[in-house]
Formats: sequence, structure tokens, C-alpha cells
Amino acid sequence: MTVIACLKWVTPRADDDDRFAGISAADQSALEFALLSAQPGEDVVAVCAGPSGAERALRDAIACGVTRAVRIDLDPRVSSLAVASAVASVATGARLVWCGDYSLDRGTGSMPGFLAARLGIGQALGLIDVTIADDAMTVVRRLDGARREIVRVSGPAVLSVEGSTARLRRASLRGVLAADTATIDVITGPSSVVDTVDEKPFRPRARALAAPVGASALDRVRSLTDAGAATGRSETVVLDPPAAAARIVSTLREWGYLG
Amino acid sequence: MSDADVIVVGAGPAGSCAAIAAARAGRRVILIERGPFPGSKNMYGGVVYPRILDELVPRWWETAPIQRWVVRRSTMVLSETGALTVDYRSNAWGEPPYNGATAYRPDFDEWLSRQAVAAGAQLVTSTTVTGLLRDASGRVTGVRTDRPDGDLTASVVIACDGVNSFLAKEAGLYTATDPSNFTLGAKETLALPKHVIDERFGVRDDQGVDIEILGGTSGVNGGGFVYTNLDTIALGVVLKLPKLAAQKKRPEEIIATLKAHPAIAPLIEGAEVKEYSAHVIPEAGYSMMPTMVTDGMLVAGDAAALCLAAGIWLEGVNFAMASGMYAGDAAAAAVARNDVSTKSLSAYSDRLNATFVLRDHKKLRKVPGLVLSDRVQQKYPAFVTSVVERVFRVDNPQPKPGLRRIVREERKRAGIKLSQLIRDGWTGLRGFG
Ligand SMILES: Cc1cc2nc3c(=O)[nH]c(=O)nc-3n(C[C@H](O)[C@H](O)[C@H](O)COP(=O)(O)OP(=O)(O)OC[C@H]3O[C@@H](n4cnc5c(N)ncnc54)[C@H](O)[C@@H]3O)c2cc1C
Repeated sequence: MTVIACLKWVTPRADDDDRFAGISAADQSALEFALLSAQPGEDVVAVCAGPSGAERALRDAIACGVTRAVRIDLDPRVSSLAVASAVASVATGARLVWCGDYSLDRGTGSMPGFLAARLGIGQALGLIDVTIADDAMTVVRRLDGARREIVRVSGPAVLSVEGSTARLRRASLRGVLAADTATIDVITGPSSVVDTVDEKPFRPRARALAAPVGASALDRVRSLTDAGAATGRSETVVLDPPAAAARIVSTLREWGYLG
Repeated sequence: MSDADVIVVGAGPAGSCAAIAAARAGRRVILIERGPFPGSKNMYGGVVYPRILDELVPRWWETAPIQRWVVRRSTMVLSETGALTVDYRSNAWGEPPYNGATAYRPDFDEWLSRQAVAAGAQLVTSTTVTGLLRDASGRVTGVRTDRPDGDLTASVVIACDGVNSFLAKEAGLYTATDPSNFTLGAKETLALPKHVIDERFGVRDDQGVDIEILGGTSGVNGGGFVYTNLDTIALGVVLKLPKLAAQKKRPEEIIATLKAHPAIAPLIEGAEVKEYSAHVIPEAGYSMMPTMVTDGMLVAGDAAALCLAAGIWLEGVNFAMASGMYAGDAAAAAVARNDVSTKSLSAYSDRLNATFVLRDHKKLRKVPGLVLSDRVQQKYPAFVTSVVERVFRVDNPQPKPGLRRIVREERKRAGIKLSQLIRDGWTGLRGFG
């Protein structure tokens, strides 16, 4: 079996100066977890879909101890979906696929989700804590409103981690020296990928709203924004699923979240 | 067998040239740099004189990342409000084989390190050398780095780790450190559109200007400089450390005062500060140099205090490149002889003595002290500028005063004794002569 670390090489400067390029802290954490979670005898493979400059990140990964490094020769500007399909060709059959939750160019973190779909395996994304055990891992996901979700991962899965979860080990000097001449497998990316052509931002339709009521401007702003309105509208109800769903929809409509 | 024939510490100009020379001679060379890429942490004023590269990188000017070729060299003496400038221009310096050039160090050093890699040296970045390895007899046998499993052995270590070299100190090659041997260089990189720089400095295309300044440093002994890059200006000061500490002034305040001087302000008006940086300079030259050679180790560049800071000259990069190259040659030859003792390696110091590297330093050894002396710093700028001011001032109906009278009166007003003036003049003549 193999464990995969997916690294995105980003040149953050407008002038494309490669000296300042690198991978995000989240990707570094992913690499560290890939190395930590591999079981004896398992290969750790670092994968990067990107230009030849990206091989520097792969050499760094080799210096840190991955068994193999693969560069998929791909224009880095293609969509997450296209990257995911390309990476899937390398990651098929892997036990664990580690990704960073965001890249240096402030990506959306959508690639890991697409990748899991392509591979047809489970996913646990946006992780803020990871505990590795032999049989199954326990991971913590960040949810909205400071909530957390604790997930047990036992089967093959794609996992994306935040940059604070692990600090990448410092490569040994011998590792760095050896990585200089190590081979990096280069495969060409799929020549035809199904990709989004139209990338206009999503703009919801305009919706007519009644003018706010209130005598003064301040009152009208209050009524528009709910500022100062009584909070604590939450309530706990016990209902069977269809009734619960209907109740959620009617409440959201009542609160103005649904038209 | 050791891990390498030669380990070079520091991929500045000295280190990369040492690595090029040793690798070209067929030795196994490892070049270790603490920054993420060579030059990433390095700063200087801004002008290189790469003539010495003719030997190492023929036709270097075709590939080196140059900003502008210096075709105007000015020396400016500033009093509080006045300025006397001696300006030399030669457009021939803007054509091959060129003379001096402005360049950014992150570009220049990185380019030079690529020449070392092309010659066969192995470059290791993001790695700091933390100490020397030595055998029982004290001979240097390698280095220790900050990486796990980070010891490396070599027949010869060349320390090119810059000013205040910890390696040269650890090897006992320096006697005590004296802060008065050092100056602090601080500079601002100021952005302006290229055509504005061209117009203000009277240059076009890739022509550039180098201005060295005496005075204008708010009473702290030192000097200043203004250099043109393509679309930035490097403006900075060099300040004697003990004086700076005693006067409790901040370098950035001194730069701000220099920028406001009537002779400087119009040059940089409207410019945006892009960067502020500072670095220590081994200013005292010949009198502070360490022993250059010990068993298994050589010292080159700023690490060996080979920077020439003598008033109208501020040259360190060329001395670093030359000494690095000579160290690389000597190390390679010693490895080939299988004898890396002090005696075998001393071909290096012989070569330094025989070339401009130490000959310039010996000839000019009194100049740094003279240029930074209290008289030259505090009294002469006001004296010289007021003499010139009176020579050119028309006071009709008064007749023109004689030059001798002006000099005598202004010398007295500045509080300079004739005997001191003659003595300093003599030291200067001998020093520069
Ligand atoms: C303000 C200022 C203006 C100057 N202006 C000019 C000028 O206009 N023209 C000119 O020719 N010279 C100028 N100089 C002098 C010039 O910068 C130096 O003489 C020159 O850089 C010396 O080169 P070097 O290779 O010896 O050292 P450095 O350039 O200092 O390089 C040392 C290298 O070693 C690395 N290093 C240090 N310690 C370690 C370690 N322990 N492990 C690994 N790597 C390490 C550093 O990161 C660096 O890359 C100026 C200096 C200053 C400060």
C-alpha cells in the first residue's frame, strides 16, 4: 500500500520569480502526516502537478524521507477538478492521501474533495487535529460557529489538513545531499481533461425587499441589520426526519433566510 | 574518505568564486548557504566592479543580472546646506568590457552561485554552519550544520561567511574584536519611474551613476552614497559604530536627514521607500585582518576583512570574488598534493600579497582612518565648501578676495591648524599615492 502527499507548487509573485516559490504550510503539514502515518513497508509518494520548477519542492520532500516523487507535467492554472483527475491517476489504490487545506495562492481547498470523488474513497477535510493510531485515525474537523466534528478514519481516505496541525521535519543534511541527484518521475498530465470553461463569479439574482420601517435612520438601519434584536432564537425540538426538515425550512423562511 | 574535497561556507561573492575555482580544478565541492537561495540575505550599497570575473566567467557581462552600467562617478562633499561635487563621466564605461555596474545582490549572488553549480559544485541552501570539526592536532576537518545528521567532513574548509566570521574566530584566526574597526551600513531602496531617474541623473538606457558622499551624516563619522538602479535609487550611509552608539542617533534618522539635504532632496523627490536594510562593514582594512590560513582552512572575502572602504572607494565584492577564487585555487592544489597543512595552503596568502587584493589594502591602509577621523569628518566639509562658496560668490562692489586669504580665513573659522592640514594632506597624498 502507499501513502500519498499532494503538494501544490506556487509562485506567489506577479513577476513569476521562482526563487520565492514554494508550498503552503498546510501542504507541509500534509507531507509530515504522510511520513508519520506510513506503516512499515509502505511507500510514501509525494505528488505535484506543476511545472518543472516544482521539482524543488519534490526534492525537499525526498530529503525529508519520501520513497518516491512524481511530477505531473501540467499547467498549474487548470481547475481543481482537472488537477484532481490528474492526481487520481497516481493515487489510485493508495491507503491514505494527504493534502493541504489551502495552497499558497489562497486556493479554495476544493481539490481534495474532487480527488476523493474521483478515487471513490472517503474524505475528511479541513482537519485541525490528527491522532494517528495503528488501526484507525481520529481526526478533528473545523465546522462553522466554532464547532468541531470528530471523525474516525479507518478505510482509504483523502485527508486535508490545516497548516497548524504539524510542523514538517527538518531534512537531514545527508538527505538533502542525496536528494540533489535523486530521480523524480515525470508523467504527462492527461491530454484531455473535462474542465470548466466559463469561470465567471457566481452572482445570485437580485431580490426585491420591502423598505425597512422605522422613524429615524438609526431605526431603519437596525431593522435592516437585526442589530440589537433579541438573540437566542434557537430552540430544540424532537421530531421525526421529514417533520424536522419541514420545520427547518419553515423556520429559515420565517427568519428571512429563504425567500 | 571525507564527504568532499572542499567545503565552502557562505554563497556570497567570495564563496561562489571559491566554489567555481575549486570545482573547475576537478575537486568535489560542497557550497553551504544559510539563506533559502544565495543572496537572499545579502545587502550592500549597490555597485560591483567585476573585472576580476574575466578570469572566471569570460564575457560575464552577457549573462550577469546587471541593473545599470556606471558611466558617472561623483564624489560629493556636503556641509549643512552646501555641496561640492567632483563628477567624472565616461560613456565608454557603458560599453564592453565595462567597468562598474549596479546590481541587486539577490540577483547577482544567485547568478554567481549558478556558475558554481554549473562548474560541478553542490549547493546546499537553508543550512547554517554552526561550527568547525577538528582532529586531535587541531586541524580543521569539516563543519557542523544546524541540520539533523549535519556533520560533513572535507580536506579543506573555506570560510566565506562574511563580516564578523564566526568560523575564523572559532579557528582562532582573529585576535580580539574591536568595535571601532567596524562601520554600520544602512540603506533605503527608493522607487522612481525609470525615465525620472534618467532625467534627474542625466543618463539614458542602462547608464548609471555612483555618488560617494563625505559629510551629511549628522555629525556621526562616516559617509553616504547614492546609486541608480533601473527603477530604484539606493541611498545610504556608512557610520562608525562607536560614534553612532555614543551619539545615540538612529541610522534611519541620519538617512532621513541626508535625504532632506538640498543637494540630495531633488534627486529622490516623490520616491517610495521599497526596502530598508543594514549590515556591518569591516572598515579598518589592513589593520584588522586575521591570519588567512590554518591547517585545513582558508578565510576569504569579508570574513577576512578584505573589504576596501577608503572614502572615494567602497569596494568589497571584487575583493571577495578575487580572494574567493584564489582560495579555491589554493585549496584545490593542496588537495591534489594531498597536503592541506598551513604551509601547503599558504600559496593562498602569497597570492593575496602578490595581487591587488592585499596590495591595494597595504597602499591604502592609512586612508580609512584618515577619512573617518574627526577632522576630516567634522571640520573639512564645512571648510572646503565655504572656500568654494567664497570663490564663486560675487560681492560687488567689493573686489574679489585672493584665494590664499579665503583659505586662511576659512581654515581659522573652521578651527583647523595649518600644521594639521599639512599633515592630513601628506597622509592623504601618501595614502592615495
Ligand atoms: C551598506 C554597505 C554598502 C556596501 N557597498 C558596496 C558596494 O557598493 N560595492 C562593493 O563592492 N561592496 C560594497 N559593500 C561590501 C560588500 O557587501 C562586501 O564586501 C561583500 O558582500 C563581501 O562578500 P562575501 O562573500 O565575503 O560576504 P557576504 O556577501 O556577506 O556573504 C556571506 C554569505 O555567507 C552566508 N553565511 C554567513 N554565515 C553562514 C553560516 N554560518 N552558514 C552558512 N552560510 C553563512 C551568508 O548568508 C552570505 O550569503 C557594502 C557593504 C555594506 C554593508
